[in-house]
Amino acid sequence: MKYADWPLSAPVNITWEITHRCNLRCVHCLSGSSVASESELNFNECRGIVDQLAELKVFEINFGGGEPLLKDYFLPLLRYIHQKGIVTCISTNGTVLTDEAIACFTDNPLVNVQVSLDGATPEVNDAIRGRGTFRCIIGGIERLAGKNIPLSINTVVTSLNYMQLKQLKELAAAYGANLRVSRFRPSGRARASWEALRLNSLQLRELADWLNSEPGVLTGDSFFSISQDGRRQLGLDMCGACKMTACIDPIGNVYPCAFMQDTPFCGGNLREKMTRHSRPHAALRVNSSGNPGEGFKDIWENAAAFKYFRQLEPEACHSCSRFDKCRGGCPSVAYFVSQDLNSADPECLVNWSREVSACSPPLSF
Amino acid sequence: MSYRLADNVQVRKESWGLLFYQPARHKMCFVRSGDWLYPPHFDGTWTLESIIGDISRRTGTPAEIIERSLPKLASHLTSNRMISHEVR
Repeated sequence: MKYADWPLSAPVNITWEITHRCNLRCVHCLSGSSVASESELNFNECRGIVDQLAELKVFEINFGGGEPLLKDYFLPLLRYIHQKGIVTCISTNGTVLTDEAIACFTDNPLVNVQVSLDGATPEVNDAIRGRGTFRCIIGGIERLAGKNIPLSINTVVTSLNYMQLKQLKELAAAYGANLRVSRFRPSGRARASWEALRLNSLQLRELADWLNSEPGVLTGDSFFSISQDGRRQLGLDMCGACKMTACIDPIGNVYPCAFMQDTPFCGGNLREKMTRHSRPHAALRVNSSGNPGEGFKDIWENAAAFKYFRQLEPEACHSCSRFDKCRGGCPSVAYFVSQDLNSADPECLVNWSREVSACSPPLSF
Repeated sequence: MSYRLADNVQVRKESWGLLFYQPARHKMCFVRSGDWLYPPHFDGTWTLESIIGDISRRTGTPAEIIERSLPKLASHLTSNRMISHEVR
């Protein structure tokens, strides 16, 4: 039994997309962010959710979006979360940093900051994140560097930038930051750019080889299924959706992970639960049982979608020799490519090795 | 000697035991301690002897059995930088 199978009373971390508003229009945006969604959660509702997560002892909240710093109450919310002792990670595009935000992050042991950058040169980055963004992002990184803020540069690996990973690592190091790479996955706006930007089998092999030789480079989740064993053992080695993590969207819907925000996978809505259970004039966060943790807890423990994901073992992977190691790879890639959760992650090591071995010596794993 | 959570480490009770989390390294430590241990045991006020006594009193487990396993567990958590020793 893997550790990830041990039942948890609450997620270890939550991805919280606090707004869909964004000043950039990145072609690979997982949530297709542009303008704020109608009826995004207000400050009091967000505080109520934080109370629930604190009650459940969720260790960490990772903010994304959209651009979280464009949410008008983001910094007050962050301060409220820090009062509860919860660690936060802010994923930002680095272009709208204010002095107040930097002051909030500086010397704060509960803050980690990830700045998204998708190329080591303007030509490559701007092709993904928009014209002129490289210069603005580097400007943001320069403002954050040297202020005792744990900083990483996050790159979504695509066919445009995978040849620049070494340069990106060096660029990050120059600012005292780590390079963190994320898998390109076909959700949100990335569905339209998937075929153009996805890595082919040879590129996946090169990426896996490089990551194997660079243990200091951080990886987002779901690399376990595309990586060789040496690398795979460095982090979570199976999908953590509904086991270790979950995602809250800007209107309070709760999903298995940030890449699985499709209606069939919604576990419930926190606003509806808070409203349904609150007594007249009572604080929004308190439900009929008086326990602030019940709304999220109910979804985590009882939502059908969450129960389904916890036992998901893609049929296509059952006969695979690596099944016990990875349990089927990233369901979101499988689902958005094939509309079938019982399909294999098309980028998993077995799949790309099979294609690569047709034209080169087989890789051992 | 008492035990205290290492800097920035958090811990919570689960049905099977304790889950430790070190956010700086994104590292988790799963401790299958059942109802023997609780997070307050690592607040720096409990000595090894008092933890053993507490477990024995609550669970009825003979102290000798607890004495055999608890130091090993503490050593494991220390080597994983989840807790630190304090000599009192």
